[in-house]
Amino acid sequence: MIRSSWISWLVVVLAALVVAFAPLPAAAVQPPTERLFHLQASQYAYAPAELHVNPGDTVTIELISTDAVHGLYVDGYGASLEADPGQSTSLTFVANRPGSFRFRCNVTCGALHPFMIGRLTVGTNTMFYRGVGLSLLGALGVMLTRRKPSDGGVQV
Amino acid sequence: MSRLELTAHGGVKALLKNRYPQLALLVLMLAGYIFAIMAGLIGSPVGSSNFSIVFVWIAWWAALILVAVPVLGRGWCSVCPIPLPGEWLQRGAVLGPNSHTPRWRGIRWPRPLRNIWLQSAAFLLLALFSTILLTSPLVTAIVLAGMLLAAIGLSMAFERRSFCRYLCPVGGFIGLYSQAAPIELRIKNKSVCTECIGKPCYNGSAEGYGCPWDVFPGGLTKNTYCGLCMECIRTCPHDNIAINLRPFGADLEQPAGRLDEAFKSFVMLGSAMIYSAVLLGPWGVLKDAAYRIGSSSWFMYAMAFVAFICILLPGLFALCAAPGGGVRTFRLRFSRMSAALIPLGLTAWIAFSLSFVLTNASYTLVSLSDPLSLGWNLLGTADIAWQPVLTAGLGPAQTLVLAGGVLWSSRVAHRAAAGSRISPVPAMAYCAGAALLLMWLLL
Amino acid sequence: MKRPEFIARLVVGAAVLGAIAVPLILWWRTPLVHAQMAEDGGWNPDALKAAVGVPLQLRITSDDVVHGFAVGKLDIPAVDIVPGKVTNITLLFQDPGTYTFFCTRWCGLNHWRMRGTIEVVGDVAAANPPHERSRPLYTTLGIDLDAPRSAPLTPAEKPVAALEAQQFKDELAGYMSVVYYRSRSPYEVWRELRADPASAARGDSELWNMTASIWRSNTTPQAVAEGEQLFAQNCAACHAEGGAGDGVFADDLAAAGQASLQSMMGDSQMVMQSPARLTDARRMLAASPALLQGKILRGGMGTGMPSWGPIFTEEQTWNLVAYLYSFQFEYR
Repeated sequence: MIRSSWISWLVVVLAALVVAFAPLPAAAVQPPTERLFHLQASQYAYAPAELHVNPGDTVTIELISTDAVHGLYVDGYGASLEADPGQSTSLTFVANRPGSFRFRCNVTCGALHPFMIGRLTVGTNTMFYRGVGLSLLGALGVMLTRRKPSDGGVQV
Repeated sequence: MSRLELTAHGGVKALLKNRYPQLALLVLMLAGYIFAIMAGLIGSPVGSSNFSIVFVWIAWWAALILVAVPVLGRGWCSVCPIPLPGEWLQRGAVLGPNSHTPRWRGIRWPRPLRNIWLQSAAFLLLALFSTILLTSPLVTAIVLAGMLLAAIGLSMAFERRSFCRYLCPVGGFIGLYSQAAPIELRIKNKSVCTECIGKPCYNGSAEGYGCPWDVFPGGLTKNTYCGLCMECIRTCPHDNIAINLRPFGADLEQPAGRLDEAFKSFVMLGSAMIYSAVLLGPWGVLKDAAYRIGSSSWFMYAMAFVAFICILLPGLFALCAAPGGGVRTFRLRFSRMSAALIPLGLTAWIAFSLSFVLTNASYTLVSLSDPLSLGWNLLGTADIAWQPVLTAGLGPAQTLVLAGGVLWSSRVAHRAAAGSRISPVPAMAYCAGAALLLMWLLL
Repeated sequence: MKRPEFIARLVVGAAVLGAIAVPLILWWRTPLVHAQMAEDGGWNPDALKAAVGVPLQLRITSDDVVHGFAVGKLDIPAVDIVPGKVTNITLLFQDPGTYTFFCTRWCGLNHWRMRGTIEVVGDVAAANPPHERSRPLYTTLGIDLDAPRSAPLTPAEKPVAALEAQQFKDELAGYMSVVYYRSRSPYEVWRELRADPASAARGDSELWNMTASIWRSNTTPQAVAEGEQLFAQNCAACHAEGGAGDGVFADDLAAAGQASLQSMMGDSQMVMQSPARLTDARRMLAASPALLQGKILRGGMGTGMPSWGPIFTEEQTWNLVAYLYSFQFEYR
């Protein structure tokens, strides 16, 4: 074990900064395309509930309400839409922000309305991978800096 | 032992010894609590517009899990209104002790139940119905009223605050997680207590009541069961009780090693995972199953819920605590190592709660203007549109909180393992794995 | 009892009593009309009373999803009823009678059943009683709304109704009256044109174009636009936005129909409750405007088609009918 714990911690902290902020190597860049999704909204889920697009794509979402008035609000993009059954509406935006975003219903549509949620993933969910890296670094840091307990815990 | 005694400041001590400030806060909370029950009963059935849902599950919950528990430990318990009516009836007085003897039974809580198993069961029971509890004002009102009545009933039969100590589902996890907080109530000098006659901190005196939490302050080593009611500060004739500021998680350095507490940590961790999947995930099938109480899909959901929390999570953890020691001491090892799940569970709940709190915080302003959905506009904010706040910071905040939880849990695991002479690596891997699952669900 | 204890008890008692009594009293003094999905009860209360010339103040809230409120045959814009919020609306009636109020935003399969009545009393003799109107044309013409119908011949391509029907105007003089238009189906008109010696030289599709022009001349672009709006708001949920009959509720309707059929007749040969396909040329070209008006007014006799009689004004109904033909004819 490394005895000088503060050096270990420095290394870990620097590694954490790299994991947190370094731009990830760009995956094979896909040319931006136009994507169209027909989103059926019912109490209390969307179908399909998970959408995947590439960064730069022009995304059109057609909201089709199937039982009551529902809405659509995309976290991170702030895009908003509302549709009555029989009166579908559309929304078009450019997915220029990478990451994973939840979209939710923003028109009260019944009891579970606050939990009517779907997920839009633009490119890769880098936040998740950074989180994984930071967690593993945290555990690693503790591993590297642990000392034999001289004051001894309670012995079993 | 790095401690900063907050009650060394005269102003702080005077504030805590004086009954009136705390009482004012308590009466306010009680009025709010009762108002929440009324709003749930007669207000709109639409959860997002009802005071009871908005102020219990968004505002109060946010204050509890984001501020009160991590920073003040059992701070909420010191202003919680639930035990009050029962306690006032039990004591026969609102303020200081009365001269007459209490009229009620004052039975001692039965020995086999002197643990937090009931609290874990109560929390688990509510958790199975959480989807309807969090969204139906009527159900919330019934549960709130039920807790109030249970507290009153238990105060009539049993001594002290038996509801708070042994039944309250909220108190179960507040107590467990208060071990992570940077505040504690402890005695200053042990020999003073040894020489003290009468122990008025536990038995009461003319200045105040004996500890309502059935704790002997002189023996307090952890925050878990002290409800910060400040009664002992008022009764101690030797000024030997202090409130200290201390490092986070100081209580976790010497884990208690109780099986009931260990189990509670699995209940909390598991519920955070299941809630993240069901409530915040995109899977409508899960939400449907969780909501249609009584249907066959709900029974399957409930069984999966219980199996996950009672069998899968502890079972996997048992594999982490099992190797490296004898079978006889397994139970103690298991319980001690499970202390590592306390920081992780707390951060899991913080990360989970941040999501729906930041998304729905705007409802609080609306509800303040029109709490009963009668068309009022008391503060002019009744018509502001729903708008999530700080969404750009949510992901990073959750990541940091969860990664921080892994780091903290790893440290606790390391210490607990050292004490039990086993390797901390399996437990650390468990914590990291749990955090990864939560990140996948939340981010 | 010491004085501080007495005051403390007073304060506690006042706080608790206030927390119970104040909301209760305020709630009691605020009567609201509750809107719920029809499956959960609909409007509550659903029978209101008013008097001529006296403003009726309504405070309406929704207990579940977004609803709307409007009064049939009254020229007031619909208002939204949003869950958890209260909408204030004041109604003033000039004529006594029974008015129907209804939900204007689709709130479930049985949205159209969400109706209530307002009984308006007054001494003033009704100048235009809302519940009285001219007998629907299909009754005077003796049309059987439920008889199966099919046009023997349909156009190969979608007929075009040119805006300027000048080229046909002189020839069609006898065919242009409103009465003529309303009482005949497009196929019947085409057949009469075909039989007319004056148009012997014209081809079949040209005659279809002329038929479409006749239809076009009996309405205006604004009327068709209103019809389109009414269709989108009231019909598209079942009949589909393109009129194909597979709207978002079509499956639920069919399921409901099969269930009732099975209990009635023990087998499910005919699915009664599928919304009509308005793009079906054979059925639509065999329907006269009077027939369509009748269907809309009367509703479906158990097929799930709502009765719009108390809701639409006569003008609205004709405009909707005019729009329905735009699935068959191209209006330019």
